[in-house]
Amino acid sequence: MHRSVSLQGHSPGVIYLDRLYNVLIAGVGGQGNLLCGRVLAEAAILKGYRPTIGETFGASRRGGTVVTHVRIGDHDLGPLIPRGTVDMLIGLEPMEALRAAVDYCGERAIAVVSTAEVQTMQCITGTTKYPPLADILDVMSSICASVSPIDPVLALGETEYRRVLNSFMLGAALTIGIAPLTANGVRESLTGLMQPVGPNVAAFDAGLKTSVRV
Amino acid sequence: MSGNEAMSRGAIEAGVRFCASYPGTPSTEITESLMRSASDRGIYVEWSTNEKVALEAASAASWVGVSALCPMKSLGLNVAADFLLNLNLSGSGKGGLVIVVCDDPEGHSSSNEQDSRFYAKAAMLPLLEPSTGQEAKEAILYAFDLSRRHEVPVIVRSTTRLSHSSSLVNVGPLPQVAPATLSSFPRGLFNVPQPAVKHRELLSKIQLIAAEFEKSSLNKLNLGPDAKTLLISSGICQSYSEEALALVHTKNTGSLGLVTTNPIPTGLIANAMAGVERVLFVEETDPFLEDEIRSQYVGLSTPDRPRFYGKRTKTLPAWGEMSVDHVVKGLSQVTDLSHEMSLHGGLEARARGAKLLISRPLTFCAGCTHRNVYWALRQEKKRRGGQLVVAGDIGCYSLGVFYDETMNTMQAMGSGIGVACGLGQLGRFGFESAVVAVAGDSTFFHACLPALVNARHKNANLTFLILDNETTAMTGFQPHPGSAVQDKGQRRISIPDLVRAIGPDYMTTSDSVEIGPLIELIHTTVAKDGLRVLILKGICRLEQQRRGVSHEGLGKVSVNPALCRGEKCKICFSQFGCTAIGWLPTEKQATILDEVCVRCGSCIGVCPYKAIRQE
Repeated sequence: MHRSVSLQGHSPGVIYLDRLYNVLIAGVGGQGNLLCGRVLAEAAILKGYRPTIGETFGASRRGGTVVTHVRIGDHDLGPLIPRGTVDMLIGLEPMEALRAAVDYCGERAIAVVSTAEVQTMQCITGTTKYPPLADILDVMSSICASVSPIDPVLALGETEYRRVLNSFMLGAALTIGIAPLTANGVRESLTGLMQPVGPNVAAFDAGLKTSVRV
Repeated sequence: MSGNEAMSRGAIEAGVRFCASYPGTPSTEITESLMRSASDRGIYVEWSTNEKVALEAASAASWVGVSALCPMKSLGLNVAADFLLNLNLSGSGKGGLVIVVCDDPEGHSSSNEQDSRFYAKAAMLPLLEPSTGQEAKEAILYAFDLSRRHEVPVIVRSTTRLSHSSSLVNVGPLPQVAPATLSSFPRGLFNVPQPAVKHRELLSKIQLIAAEFEKSSLNKLNLGPDAKTLLISSGICQSYSEEALALVHTKNTGSLGLVTTNPIPTGLIANAMAGVERVLFVEETDPFLEDEIRSQYVGLSTPDRPRFYGKRTKTLPAWGEMSVDHVVKGLSQVTDLSHEMSLHGGLEARARGAKLLISRPLTFCAGCTHRNVYWALRQEKKRRGGQLVVAGDIGCYSLGVFYDETMNTMQAMGSGIGVACGLGQLGRFGFESAVVAVAGDSTFFHACLPALVNARHKNANLTFLILDNETTAMTGFQPHPGSAVQDKGQRRISIPDLVRAIGPDYMTTSDSVEIGPLIELIHTTVAKDGLRVLILKGICRLEQQRRGVSHEGLGKVSVNPALCRGEKCKICFSQFGCTAIGWLPTEKQATILDEVCVRCGSCIGVCPYKAIRQE
């Protein structure tokens, strides 16, 4: 009946749970967001952790906002990252990265953001305007500890980037580091999960070669 | 594995042999993952026509000793409730019967955010609320054991965040696959002539179960001797409470996580509360535990009981989804703990960010034939000066509410034709609008037949559109009685034959790809009198893609810049709004995005200037 919960808090100001690393992946349906989360979780399992993945995919097939919460820790935790406790934000789309930053990020958050915009239907039809990229990155910088914009089109080309954006962004995030995970570990997990393997591993390695500033 | 997969695994470990279900988010994957083991494990799994039929079928299996599982979404239990509130008195059989209901707090994929736990209370049935994937698997195993021993159905309640999140689950041994041993058919599977006696018998069973719940190892108490505050939570909220306690790093607050929540273990709760000054109830959606525990302490003077906080005291929000953040906030309100989430840039930056954001509303897929039908209905509404009401219901075609609000009403499965039955009688009171009801094919079988019979019988004046894309598209393409491809041993039921048998005044089957003829067909049909039924054959583009149907061979669709009126018109992209129609800002003209376009050519009929063409 009595069970001890060995979750411990740390230094005041920055609040986190022992040996816990929170990754948030934000994008739109069709970008392989959920698979990205799975790759990180599998890599964490290989390292002996008990990750939890929270998925909001109600609209994933129809171009809506998709957010994946990956919590790498020792315990079965609730699937959603509490506000302000994101360690790494992987933005597969700039405006969705901002949305996730507004909702979840705080001063611990290191953000790696693809600058390739996915316009909304209303932007295409001219009813509303997509916010300027510079403004998005500026606000994100005020919310997060650091923001690193990356242009996947420049690195992979217009058609290729659409296919393997998720693997590329995982590589880019790992140049900064996702605390307990190694590039080799993530590559191994990615090889088992992403199809087709060749182009995804190549994109992951291309991501690792990007010069991401923190 | 996901929470849903964990529950499926639990059922297999418990020796489940029969599963009947109707798809609905967030419950669908329980049945789907069971289907993957069906042939290996000798399990019969079916997608029933609706949740009531599913529960009835599953009960029959349990009566003869075959272990049965019946998963459904929150709203599905409303459909099955009539049977459930009789089955509780009749009892389930020796095989055991476990009902899994997946609630959807916040209504991420639902038309409401109901708390289905009240059905357990109304039916006086045992209820379990697991908090993690591991616990979900264990809870299903225990539920089968409990159900078999007491011959009552057991309800396991999940929520979206448990069903759809993934974690490591330690699996247990699988039972031997052996031929099912049938028990003799039980006597007295009816509640008449003395339902009250059956009620008394059920209450005695529940008393035994309550005693068992007091000692259940599924419930967890973590409370230090000097604790002054206690969090009582159930389901996924248990993990929220534990994390909130870790975040505020307090020593004088404890936690009681309840999995057995009907009947509530009153002794366990009273013991946990002894010596505690404050209790905060944390639960997903309504104050179910809070009210139950409050009601037991009514009349006791303050020194004998702690102060209660929760949704009733507005300490926690009484609507929407619970979260660690809500618990932290509630906790700091009821105690003197001050906890500031470390938010760099804080409110000001967040407010600036929120201003920049624009939404991504849901829309029909490129080439979706539902859009064509609603486009035609919009034209008909215009022609009638707005005098057209469209009553609809649940499916992908519900998106009609976001499409210039073409769909006017949307509540339950099959409620479009039911509402239309009423609207179609209002002419006598001077109601002048034409009445159209809309339903999809799977919904037609699920819940439309009684209302359609009613419409015929009472001569309701309405047009019923059946949007038939031959699959349950919304929930992931499950087959139904009208699907074109049927599993072995299942027979297809023709929607036109069924409708014809009911005898509408006018009925026709037509295509919904070509816009021009569709607009005319809807116009001439709505102009008629009596009960009119249009069966509109549609195509689900996602389903087509799944089957590997390519549109490469079809002619490329493009805009002729010489004919496009650009900003003066904008009909194709700003009103019709197919996601494959784009806008060239410098040329100020429409364009077809070939990488999105499925080359159906529906938009050709939308352009008044014949500027869209297909090779």
